[in-house]
Amino acid sequence: MGPLDSMTLPLFTAAVLALLAGTVLPLLALGEHRRYFHTLSLGCTVIAAAVLGILSAIILVTGDFLHFTLFTLGNGASFSCAIDKLSAFFLLIISAVSVPVAIYFSGYIGSMEGTSRRSLVCSFTNLFILAMVLVVSSGDTFMFFFCWELMAASSFFLVVYDYTRESTRNAGIIYFFMTQLSSLFVLLGIVILFCATGSFAMAPLPGAPALLVTAAFLCLFTGFSIKAGVIPFHKWLPYAHPASPSPVSALMSGVMVKIAVYGLLRFLVTVFTPELWWGFLIFAAGLGSAVLGIIYALKEHDIKGMLAYSSIENIGIIFTGVGLFVIFTATGLPLLATIALLGALFHSLNHALAKSLLFLTSGSVVHATHTREIEQMGGLINRMPYTSAFFFIGAASLAALPPLNGFASEVLILTAFFTSIPVVDPLLKILLFFGLALFALASTLSAVCFVKAFGSVFLALPRSQASEKASEVPATMLAGPAILAAACVITGVFAYQILIFAGYVLPIPDMFLISLLLLGVMALVYILIHYTASRSTRTGETWGCGLDAPRPSAEYTGHGLSEPVEIIFSPIYRTRIVQTRQFFDQKHCIYREGTGEIRLMKVFEEYLYLPVARAGLKLAGFISRFQNNCLDTYLLYVFLAVIALILFLGWSP
Amino acid sequence: MNIDLILYCVINTLVVLAISPLFVSLVKKVKAWTQGRRGPSLFQTYATIRKLLSKEVIYSPASSWVTRICPYLSMASLIVASLFVPLVFVTGTVGGIGNIILFLYLLALSRFIMALAGLDAGSPFGGMGSSREMSISAIIEPTMIIVFATLAFVYRTLNIPDMVSIAAAQGTMAVPTLILVAISLFILLIVETSRIPVDNPETHLELTMIHEGMVLEQSGRNLALMEYAAAIKLAVLTGLLVNLVVPLGIATTLSVTGLAVAVIALVVKGSALAGVIGLFESSMAKKRFFQLPSLFAMAFFFSTLVIIIEVFS
Repeated sequence: MGPLDSMTLPLFTAAVLALLAGTVLPLLALGEHRRYFHTLSLGCTVIAAAVLGILSAIILVTGDFLHFTLFTLGNGASFSCAIDKLSAFFLLIISAVSVPVAIYFSGYIGSMEGTSRRSLVCSFTNLFILAMVLVVSSGDTFMFFFCWELMAASSFFLVVYDYTRESTRNAGIIYFFMTQLSSLFVLLGIVILFCATGSFAMAPLPGAPALLVTAAFLCLFTGFSIKAGVIPFHKWLPYAHPASPSPVSALMSGVMVKIAVYGLLRFLVTVFTPELWWGFLIFAAGLGSAVLGIIYALKEHDIKGMLAYSSIENIGIIFTGVGLFVIFTATGLPLLATIALLGALFHSLNHALAKSLLFLTSGSVVHATHTREIEQMGGLINRMPYTSAFFFIGAASLAALPPLNGFASEVLILTAFFTSIPVVDPLLKILLFFGLALFALASTLSAVCFVKAFGSVFLALPRSQASEKASEVPATMLAGPAILAAACVITGVFAYQILIFAGYVLPIPDMFLISLLLLGVMALVYILIHYTASRSTRTGETWGCGLDAPRPSAEYTGHGLSEPVEIIFSPIYRTRIVQTRQFFDQKHCIYREGTGEIRLMKVFEEYLYLPVARAGLKLAGFISRFQNNCLDTYLLYVFLAVIALILFLGWSP
Repeated sequence: MNIDLILYCVINTLVVLAISPLFVSLVKKVKAWTQGRRGPSLFQTYATIRKLLSKEVIYSPASSWVTRICPYLSMASLIVASLFVPLVFVTGTVGGIGNIILFLYLLALSRFIMALAGLDAGSPFGGMGSSREMSISAIIEPTMIIVFATLAFVYRTLNIPDMVSIAAAQGTMAVPTLILVAISLFILLIVETSRIPVDNPETHLELTMIHEGMVLEQSGRNLALMEYAAAIKLAVLTGLLVNLVVPLGIATTLSVTGLAVAVIALVVKGSALAGVIGLFESSMAKKRFFQLPSLFAMAFFFSTLVIIIEVFS
């Protein structure tokens, strides 16, 4: 029991009750007044998230520990909550994203289809946030899994909001399958832990058999990797994100994948004593996701699909940090381990802020242009000035540009790399050097990706009618992104001060000083130029190589922009040329007509997912042959089963 | 913040502003000599910048605040980056000025905004330049970070001024491996400053259009700033290379004679490197764009080899 329980417990209860109210209220509403109930429900979300923010701030600052048991079931299973600093940090992420998303949602919901579905979406949003809050507050593995399932189920209903479209239904099926697979592995891990210790407590495992512990770790790691979207378990993200409404994508990509990071960290820190090779496993998974994720993102031209792949990259960066943390802990370098862990945690927060900002602003763009295809956009910077400025901040942040927050967290992980290299043993040195090279590659490729995203969506001339007629979105849809953009700037510029406030004095650059320098130099240069150089300015058409006026068709497209990188990394993309030819004669001499297309091979889908799915179907087909709808056969089965049972019982002692 | 640091910032900025156009002209001069021409005057780049400042700026109607802010932001990020590399005088720094990681990302900041400005006007050439510049930067980055990590590894610090201090204190090269690192740094310099065989800074043909393609839509004072920023980038990378490998003459305490000697030493070392760059550029042709990855892969393997030698020596 912490000393501040009298303060934190009511706050936590209030937040949970507000979220429950937000879940129930929209379901009660009928008729014309539904609209108000939607706003009320989202208001509940904002209040609950704000209260959670205060709660987590108290716990983070004071180091208090909130622990209480709701009720106990038999056999050691119970519903109990425990909120320490790690939980509080993730509560902070949830609250920091939920407030702006709920504000944005209240404006966005007007453009969504179906009034009763709108009520459901409000209700499920609250339930989803509640589930995530309870997952990070869980005090034992039983409640952890229960809430994990609640989170999976409620998010599924949010993904299939637009169920009348076939693509959404497909995405829903893939999401449902992957999320259940994740739950299955998490459940398996928890059951193995229960077998090893006989309790559901989240506590260290002294004397548990090493084999069981390793098996439990592998199961939990797989489960959390699927949820986080680590390659090769990433396939659900690029399906689910484009299909679901933008605020839901913001919540799922900004927060839900971080809950998986929380799960991994919680079990690594509280339950296991990690071994070195676990660190290598997490490190390799992280780097693989970071590099492949961003390479796939470059190829995307669906704006939300691109952001989904970018999430895979950032989860990779977070996992790299976690992997380094485990490696340095296992090799006895606590300071470096702390830097790496802080880098991973800080990047979780920063990615949550920046990615939800990007999903919300891209939702505004889709709202204005009615397309997700970036080649149909362009020229929006002068039509949607605020949205474009917010998108710019998010993009620059994820491209790790100083002084924004994406840089602040990447610099922590890079510092861990740089300072660790002189002190570890030679083979680890070489490994870290290669890891560093891949990490840097991912980081700069994300800059390419966001130049492409911002350039094709917002700059130059509009490439379609819809884009030409686009106009700025209403104030509520600007307020949410505005909060997130401000948060991105503040957490970036004051990163050093925030870390000192949290009690960590680390050898990272003070971005506040650097930002002042940048601004100061810019102002100085501006003043100098203003007073010394010619001020005459004219507007003239862009030279169009002989065209009388520049045309959108002559512009560089997003595809064209990323083409060099695609060619350089072509072995990774694996394109396939599909040709069909028809001939007039039998001997294929006189050509009639044909088609040819270059198709991007979905490597993981074709070589991993589909074979597994086909094998599953085959097995199911084999089993279904036993079911021939004939009573005699069934009686035979029963008879055989009884014989087998008697024989088994007779022989067993 | 002590007085030494403030003086360091002021002196370093003044030196980089004063000297950077000179290095650009020098390279041009050396290239002209090897081609049997007399070449432009050594002060031509100063004159070009001054002339551009008096010209009017033309904006495309499609362009936005990105084009307007780009020259200032890219100039500011390069001037701040120049603070990270002591050119004539070295002192202890605070608050991460000199952090080698931040140095890399400041260069990335200027590149990011330039690439966006290249797309802003809707011209196909600007887009081509942006696309190529970003691609090249992406594939050279692993080599870049490896080289910088090797520097951090050899000097046991993340701070460039501290590295230069150590190099200056030891007088000669700290580690023989540094000769090999210097070769890698030279390749990076060629790539980062858009020179042959990666890019050709002298032409506006589509074939070579990388950096020049991006700034094609800039004019007047904005173009002057962009050209100046490119010159500063060359000077900063030159300073980094020569001061780490040949730390001769750099001032460690403030005195007028010391600074004078240091400036002369920098001009001499920098001119020598500019000569090498000029000769290097003249001795080969521009490579085809898609042959560059294999060149970069070579640079990467070379850097990795250096590391393996360093780790196991």
